[in-house]
Amino acid sequence: MEFYLYLALFSPLVGSLIAGLFGASKKTLFTGLITSALIFTSFVSSFMLLLHILGDGEPVHVEMMTWIATGNLYIPFGFIVDQVSVVMMMVVSLVSTVVHVYSIGYMDHDKSFNRFFSYLSAFVFSMMVLVMSDNFLGLFIGWEGVGLCSWLLIGFWYHKESATWAANEAFIMNRIADLAMLIGIFLVYWNTGSLQYHIAFPAFATLDSSTLLMIGIFLFIGAMGKSAQFPLHTWLADAMEGPTPVSALIHAATMVTAGVYLVVRANPLYDLIPDVGYFIASLGAFVAMFAASMALVNRDMKRIIAYSTLSQLGYMFVAAGLGAYWVALFHLMAHAFFKALLFLGAGNVMHAMDDELDPFKMGGLKKSMKWTWIMMTLASVALAGIWPLAGFFSKDLILEAAFVEHHYVLYTILLVTAFMTAFYSFRLVSLIFHGKERHKEYGFHPHEAYKFVLIAMSPLAILAVVAGFLFKGSYIEMVTTLLPATEYHLHSETTFWIMNIGTQLAVGFSIAFAYMKYENAKIDKKVESGFLYKLLINQYYIPYFYEEYLTKPYRELSSVAWKHVDLKVVDATVDMIANIFYETGEKTHVMQDGNLSTMLRWMVAGTALLLVLAVAFTVGYSVLVG
Amino acid sequence: MFDNILTILIFFPALAAMLGFVVDKGSIRSYGVSVAAVEFILSLVLWYMYDPNVVGMQFMESVPLIPSFGISYLLGIDAISLFIIILATFFTMIGIASLGETKNIKNMIVTLLFLEMTMVGVFSALDAIVFYVFWELSLVPMLYLIGAWGGPKRIYASIKFFLYTFTGSLIMLVGMLFMAYYYNQATGTWSFSILEWYRLVLPENMQLWLFAAFFMGFAIKVPMFPFHTWLPYAHGQAPTIGSVILAAILLKMGTYAFVRFSLPMFPDASVFFMIPIAVIAIIMIIYTAMVAYAQEDIKQVVAYSSVSHMGVIILGTFALNVEGISGSVFLMIAHGVVSGALFFLVGVIYDRRHTKLMSEFGGLAQVMPRYATIFGIIMMASVGLPLTINFVGEFLSLLGFYKQSHILTLLAGTAIIVGAIYMLTAYKKAFFGEVTKEENKNLPDVNRRELVALIPLVIITVWLGVYPKPVLGPINNSVEAIVSLMHEKAVTQDAKDRIPNPMVAKISTQNGGTH
Repeated sequence: MEFYLYLALFSPLVGSLIAGLFGASKKTLFTGLITSALIFTSFVSSFMLLLHILGDGEPVHVEMMTWIATGNLYIPFGFIVDQVSVVMMMVVSLVSTVVHVYSIGYMDHDKSFNRFFSYLSAFVFSMMVLVMSDNFLGLFIGWEGVGLCSWLLIGFWYHKESATWAANEAFIMNRIADLAMLIGIFLVYWNTGSLQYHIAFPAFATLDSSTLLMIGIFLFIGAMGKSAQFPLHTWLADAMEGPTPVSALIHAATMVTAGVYLVVRANPLYDLIPDVGYFIASLGAFVAMFAASMALVNRDMKRIIAYSTLSQLGYMFVAAGLGAYWVALFHLMAHAFFKALLFLGAGNVMHAMDDELDPFKMGGLKKSMKWTWIMMTLASVALAGIWPLAGFFSKDLILEAAFVEHHYVLYTILLVTAFMTAFYSFRLVSLIFHGKERHKEYGFHPHEAYKFVLIAMSPLAILAVVAGFLFKGSYIEMVTTLLPATEYHLHSETTFWIMNIGTQLAVGFSIAFAYMKYENAKIDKKVESGFLYKLLINQYYIPYFYEEYLTKPYRELSSVAWKHVDLKVVDATVDMIANIFYETGEKTHVMQDGNLSTMLRWMVAGTALLLVLAVAFTVGYSVLVG
Repeated sequence: MFDNILTILIFFPALAAMLGFVVDKGSIRSYGVSVAAVEFILSLVLWYMYDPNVVGMQFMESVPLIPSFGISYLLGIDAISLFIIILATFFTMIGIASLGETKNIKNMIVTLLFLEMTMVGVFSALDAIVFYVFWELSLVPMLYLIGAWGGPKRIYASIKFFLYTFTGSLIMLVGMLFMAYYYNQATGTWSFSILEWYRLVLPENMQLWLFAAFFMGFAIKVPMFPFHTWLPYAHGQAPTIGSVILAAILLKMGTYAFVRFSLPMFPDASVFFMIPIAVIAIIMIIYTAMVAYAQEDIKQVVAYSSVSHMGVIILGTFALNVEGISGSVFLMIAHGVVSGALFFLVGVIYDRRHTKLMSEFGGLAQVMPRYATIFGIIMMASVGLPLTINFVGEFLSLLGFYKQSHILTLLAGTAIIVGAIYMLTAYKKAFFGEVTKEENKNLPDVNRRELVALIPLVIITVWLGVYPKPVLGPINNSVEAIVSLMHEKAVTQDAKDRIPNPMVAKISTQNGGTH
């Protein structure tokens, strides 16, 4: 099994390096094919490992070599494939394979084709390191590695100012969270003596609660950065500047869920500190609704989906925070399938519309892009949580968990958000695919994507439909050997049915409402001039606030630090001291002009001064002592 | 021959430099490269022969110079000095090999070889006077490098560099003389041997004064805030090779001296001054990072970033535990590699455009993709990405200090944020966007001569980031020796508590691990 582990981990790296060798040269289809093949290899190996875990359930644990060892610190390159990491590996490698093949079509005309595949595969490698590491610092390698790849890929079209700006924003904002993560790691080390999960986790039980609280909070702040939780969320929407396959893979399916993975992985810790868990859940519920509200009005196709991702991450954190780790992981998996599909569909639309992003300029695309329409609709239905698609099983579980645990406020928020989700999803579908073909006014000539691209997307479409009812049983059986196996059953059958049918009906109603309202893409001027609309379209003025009150002051303060403090105070003081010596020398050397009478006068003056001083000292001393 | 390998390492480049004057101008370049290569190979032999399991100094040589005052020519190295010596010989070699068109190239190479002598000398001296002599001598070739091959304000910059560091060193010399005097008072014999001084237990009050005197010399060299302002001028005016050596090796003299002198000789004072020094280190980290962010000249960004990272090294040193000090020594190597590489990279673009203003560039990634890639890798190392050399050192330094203070480490940890801010912004300005300037449209990518310097640096950056053990292992053993010495020597209880005994700590966690 170790062979499969190494194969799953390193084949993306090999692919990345091969593609990287041709990074600066002209497009060669070869790089796209070889990287895709290697990612597929990784997928197959992950699948073999999954079969192994399903078989006898024995985790595969290897220590490749020592990485850092000094003092008492020992950190190896250690990897573990257990019930949790194998789920992540499957999700990552599967979505990556799809996205790689898809990108061969999507990046077809891009001159940096090879470079793209090199970065994309490097990302997959980092993500694999993240989920497979058996210690916190190994996870941190992957954590920073995906951050780097995200930076490279958001700013992939580096001639665009907006893209490079967004790339830097994402990197720096993540760095803020990473600092907290590092502090969390320091705390783990100094309190448990190790960073390896199998030593640190059992040791948590022996620590006092305030230390645990600190560890839990700091690690979670780290998770907030990667998973773009409020207030570190603004980078995710801006990250949509990157190529769409990147948005699908990194900013929807995998990287942004790393935070959720961290909380799930550290479940022995969060189980001990339910207060932090409750905070995580509350923040998650808040973000779910907060992000959904921004998605309601946005007019940028990719941003709408990005906000939707943010909102769904909120759902996952609610589950993870409430201790329903397996539910969080299940939603993570289902979400990866349908959200990646949604993004890839959006990519097809963008290609057809010459990179136009405003859905109000589209409409009626179902005629020319039948398959994309079907797949995006499927993904949206799954996202909305309609039975029997994947989203129903995973999202409903979160609602049930909140309800069963008596967190009715959280439950209500999530329920309302579910309606909002259905609404904005079908607002988008309706605007893009239904109604009149408004794009004709703008002179677009839409066309369906390449056939192989559609075929590449089909596994995701199938999974978005079947992942829920097909995998739920075996999934639960598998992961609950590692994660707390809490079942969330409503006590009364009637409540269960009322809740489920009620939710389904309300969601259905939202969908219908969105269809009707937006089929003709009428813009309601009255709503648009309202305060609420302005607030939402400006993202609650948070980016504005960050720019005005954080970025600008930092820039100005830096400038002051250099021009006024460093040059005019610190350096000027040094020069002044030097000048004092210099000037004194300049002034006093006239005393020794070689004129005997002047020099004698100075001598007398000096002797007199010395005598006075001697007298003063004697007197002063006797006064002081006497 | 290996008995005197350190002497050979020190004086071979000096001898070769003198012979260099008579070498024909056409072949001086290959002469210089061969000498530096031989020297580098010798230093690798030193590494090969070094036994990491032996506690204490190795390759010791001792020749009495002034026996009546206990001054002797005493050499010896442990792992801490070993790797900095290798770094010095390595940088001299690639520095000479990648020299571009330079006027008076013969003098330049001779100067560099003399500089190499002083550098190896400083890091292998175990006698305070010998140390001091090499320490001061190193100023001369650098003064000459800046003053003769520098930019328009080179005279101001070189004199400022010289006088500033010289002033600090004089105060340090007073400290050394007093230390020897006190040693004489306590034992009745004279000695300038650092190893003898290690054995002397000083009262706390005495430690504080001596620590302060040594501190002035070291702090200006590092340079620590607020004594850092000579550095931007020196870097601003120095030729590329001067900046590279200055940043990669010469600054390390200061941090190395803290580990070699201040910690083991004055453990109580180290604990006493730990918090104030940590505060200075934090100011260095945050404040100079902000100043770096405000710069318009890319070389100044690198210069200030270098100061900012030195802050982390200082912090790690004063963590006073094995994790922190090992990390800080490792970070010395890492900082040498990375900031040296950054100065090389800045030199590449300066050679082509004769300007260092970032506003003059933009879109270079399109014109010079290889250059942009190498710059990107080194930048990511500078930002402290895991699996690069810097991360190991930075992580360990911060980890170590976390044991001493939570809040201060949190503040110092902002290094990873502010570092990313100035570096990514600078990179964006120079490499991203459209190519707007006509002159930039046909810039040639890095050539073979430049790759000679850059490729090995990139390889080291990644290699030691992925597999630091060959360097970190020996360093760890030497640091453990220093920390246990400090723990034993400490007079006050506070110091005993703050400086853990590495041996005891090891046993206790082994027991803890098995339960």
